[in-house]
Amino acid sequence: MQSRTATRWIELLQLMSMFAIWVFVLGISAWILYLVRLSHRWNDVPSASVGISIVAIPVFVTGAAVLTYVFVGLRRGATPNPGDGEE
Amino acid sequence: MTSFTNNPGTTPPVDSNFEDAVLLRSVEHPGSQLKVIITLLGMVILGCWVLFGRQILYGLGVTGLNQPVAWGFYIVNFVFFIGISHAGTLISAILRLADAEWRRPITRMAEVITVIVLGIGGVHPLLDQGRPDRMLNIFTSGRLQSPLLWDVTSITAYLMASTVYLFIPMIPDIALLRDRGARPRWLYEFLAWGWQGTPRQHHVIERAMGIMMVLVIPIAVSVHTVISYIFAMTLQPGWHSTIFGPYFVVGAIFSGIAALLVVMIALRKAFGLHDYLKEIHFAHLSKLLLIMSLIWFYFTFSEYLTAFFGNEPSEMRVFHYKFSGPYAPFFWGMVVCNFVIPVLILSFKRTRKIPGILVASILIVIGMWLERLNIVVPSLANPRLPVSTGFYIPSLVEWGMFAGAMATFVLGFVLFSRFFPLICVWEMKEGREKALQETVKRVKSYLPDTSSSQTTVPNSGG
Repeated sequence: MQSRTATRWIELLQLMSMFAIWVFVLGISAWILYLVRLSHRWNDVPSASVGISIVAIPVFVTGAAVLTYVFVGLRRGATPNPGDGEE
Repeated sequence: MTSFTNNPGTTPPVDSNFEDAVLLRSVEHPGSQLKVIITLLGMVILGCWVLFGRQILYGLGVTGLNQPVAWGFYIVNFVFFIGISHAGTLISAILRLADAEWRRPITRMAEVITVIVLGIGGVHPLLDQGRPDRMLNIFTSGRLQSPLLWDVTSITAYLMASTVYLFIPMIPDIALLRDRGARPRWLYEFLAWGWQGTPRQHHVIERAMGIMMVLVIPIAVSVHTVISYIFAMTLQPGWHSTIFGPYFVVGAIFSGIAALLVVMIALRKAFGLHDYLKEIHFAHLSKLLLIMSLIWFYFTFSEYLTAFFGNEPSEMRVFHYKFSGPYAPFFWGMVVCNFVIPVLILSFKRTRKIPGILVASILIVIGMWLERLNIVVPSLANPRLPVSTGFYIPSLVEWGMFAGAMATFVLGFVLFSRFFPLICVWEMKEGREKALQETVKRVKSYLPDTSSSQTTVPNSGG
């Protein structure tokens, strides 16, 4: 019973870490988009800012997407525990 | 040399049921010296933080920085450490993509180097600020058009990609430690992500690694190119060069391989990994090092020849400052360390042994640090503007921070080895079980199919 509780806590921690990664990536993307907006407002070479954002944002999103793919894929690929589903 | 694990010859015995148990010994049976080493390194790092506190209190006046040399050790170390980071992910990704079978015991160490030194290097621009709190202004009014912001973005992206690329192949090894009851158990449970080793899970890991190894190569190249742009995008003499991007990337790969070799030799001795890190691994990497040394010299020669031939007065001031002025010992020291001695050692089979490779690699690491110093300081000391020539002597605070950075690097490795295997266990197992057949099949596919050519009539074009 205790080990099952511990497993639940660990699963919760794992989900929270995935959530944190997406918060980080979306935060950086939002920051980059904000700076692009600033450069437009100040007419301060906005084309360069747009160019950098086109490269940077997909890199962060791809990194997080690969991690999510692994996280979900490992769960789906696991053999079901015989004890699961019996409460 | 001190062993970080219990004496391999006595206790504890290596698990006879598990052929790679020696790789897990540092995790399952850490030696008693480990605590002493961690304490000593921790004290150096603590001292470094005290110095940093003093710098915040009194400002950059405690450093040797002044006008016109406003960038010194901190920026030199920033460029140096980020350069070393190319050891890992780039080399590991290239070797994996090329199916180089000898990569198996090397990749993990290379990837760890990347993550640790990226963290250390990334902090250095912050140390260079008299008021580090003002760094927060980049969130509210940063200019994405500035190469400084390109750096922030690309280093963060590289750190993220490298960490993901380090973590994904670690999952099966973490699960192995979990199943063997390694402690702290919650850590391995948490990081194993439910790995059971099913074929589907293997497929997921391989696919993700395939994506990441393709992704990290352009990111790694872009990071050092962008760092070179901090210099090349200005009109400073000695910096405004179109080949600075590739020159920096070449230097980064060069110093990265040298650092990787030093780490491999040290860990081989410390953890008794002689059966895994064999002479052949060092021989292959040292040939790469030799090639990089020649390429580095070619780029250096091209860079300085162009400046010399142009004979532009402000460029020539920097040129003479390095070749025959106050920085001549550092410049010629760089040439000797990066080219003359390594080429002499690595060109001959007789000297291309582990002791020779270690000497060459250490010299290259020192030489590449001198190269960064030669790039940063002389151009600032001889500005294009009509002001007096400057000189830079680092203070004890800067030396102390440098010692702290090196201690952090070693501590990072020691802590990593305490919790995770330094060589990828599952990849070694896979190498034994599958790679031999796959390699034979691959080599056959390179060769002409003699059985079919005897029976097929050549096309005469009719």
